[in-house]
Amino acid sequence: MQADGHARFAASVLPHLDAAYNLARWLVRDGHDAQDVVQDALVRALRHFDGFRGGDPRPWLLAIVRNAAFAWLGARRPNEVEVPDDELDAALAVGAPPADPESLAIRHAQRREIDEAIAALPIAFREALVLRELEELSYREIARITDVPIGTVMSRLSRARHLLAVALRPEASRSLA
Amino acid sequence: MNDDDLWLDALLDDELDAAASVALQRRLAAEPALQRRFEERRALREAVRAQATRHAAPAALRAHLESMLAPAPARAEAAARGTRERTSWRLRGLPWATGLGGALVAGLCTLAVVDPAALGWHRGGALSAQQTAEASEAVSAHTRALLVDHPIEVASSDQHTVRPWLSARLNFVPPVVDLVAQGYPLIGARRDVLAGQTAAALVYRHGAHVISVFVRPAESTAPADAEATRVVRGFNVIERTRGGLAFCFVSDVNPHDLQTLADLVTPLAGTAHQ
Repeated sequence: MQADGHARFAASVLPHLDAAYNLARWLVRDGHDAQDVVQDALVRALRHFDGFRGGDPRPWLLAIVRNAAFAWLGARRPNEVEVPDDELDAALAVGAPPADPESLAIRHAQRREIDEAIAALPIAFREALVLRELEELSYREIARITDVPIGTVMSRLSRARHLLAVALRPEASRSLA
Repeated sequence: MNDDDLWLDALLDDELDAAASVALQRRLAAEPALQRRFEERRALREAVRAQATRHAAPAALRAHLESMLAPAPARAEAAARGTRERTSWRLRGLPWATGLGGALVAGLCTLAVVDPAALGWHRGGALSAQQTAEASEAVSAHTRALLVDHPIEVASSDQHTVRPWLSARLNFVPPVVDLVAQGYPLIGARRDVLAGQTAAALVYRHGAHVISVFVRPAESTAPADAEATRVVRGFNVIERTRGGLAFCFVSDVNPHDLQTLADLVTPLAGTAHQ
């Protein structure tokens, strides 16, 4: 690769390092492992940078980070990435949807509880939620990054939020205790 | 969960087209239960956005990547900053040398002879080394303001409030314009010091990103219409001289969006009303 390619690569990618690390960290749920994943991702990104034709580099980089994280997990913790659909459905069977106004109390949930609830989501829901709420990407961008149709993004996001609402519901901590 | 949730979420996420949005708003007005559900969804979303941890890249990782990718002069600086953390990388035994390290080191020899044009220098010729230091200072001022979570002294999106506030405190008049229609709402301003000079710092927001725009009188020796873009410690920086004013745009927003703001703001230099 040419030198100006490297300069362009640095200028495009380094400003999004926090986003890259954040996604990796939420997917593999460990700080050290996330650094390995970001490292892998940047090697891949550099190799394929010639194929990047301008536009917003952030979704492009996040797609590579996401694939690197799945490859990393697939090699080391395959049970985390091979979640069959019926298991995802089972995850949704927990509890009825929050229906009363008191569930607004989730507003007061602590950071730790929210982090734990997100970390506990099945990975397909977790990645959709992190990309939407923390990286503020559009459905279309999330669809491209996670390589699924927009309708799937919508349902995963909705399911992720449903599971969070259930986990953060005030009575949830009591009934699970 | 049911299909309604999909639509409520899409409305929250601003992903519905106008017709679908109006139809859903109408249903919300007519169905208290649905409205309550919508409020729950909104509260959840606010809680997640406000409280979920956004993991920042560890300093050691950033320093290492910067030093690997930086053009030659900046590399020494980045390497110096990374020295402290270098040991922990060794201890962890990360495969830098064979992985990313190997791939990037291979490119470094070419970086040493890189054409300055490739580093983001544009028309107007090279700005002085002093201005490189100023870019670094501007990034420090930007991050400092973000760290204390108080980036503004006068909080207003009203340019007619911000401009007099600044004019009363500065001996020059920076262009102040709210660009909310273009996606860059003005959130306020403060004074800052750049290169020993008092500068106006206008603060804009773009999506989740904060953009600092530093403005001060240009040095009389500065070339007219000089421009440089660079990446300093992970932030994009655009420096531009227009209409007797030196502008410096700093943000973690992508270079294209930063350029867009620069193109909106700098043509106004010298046209500000006293």
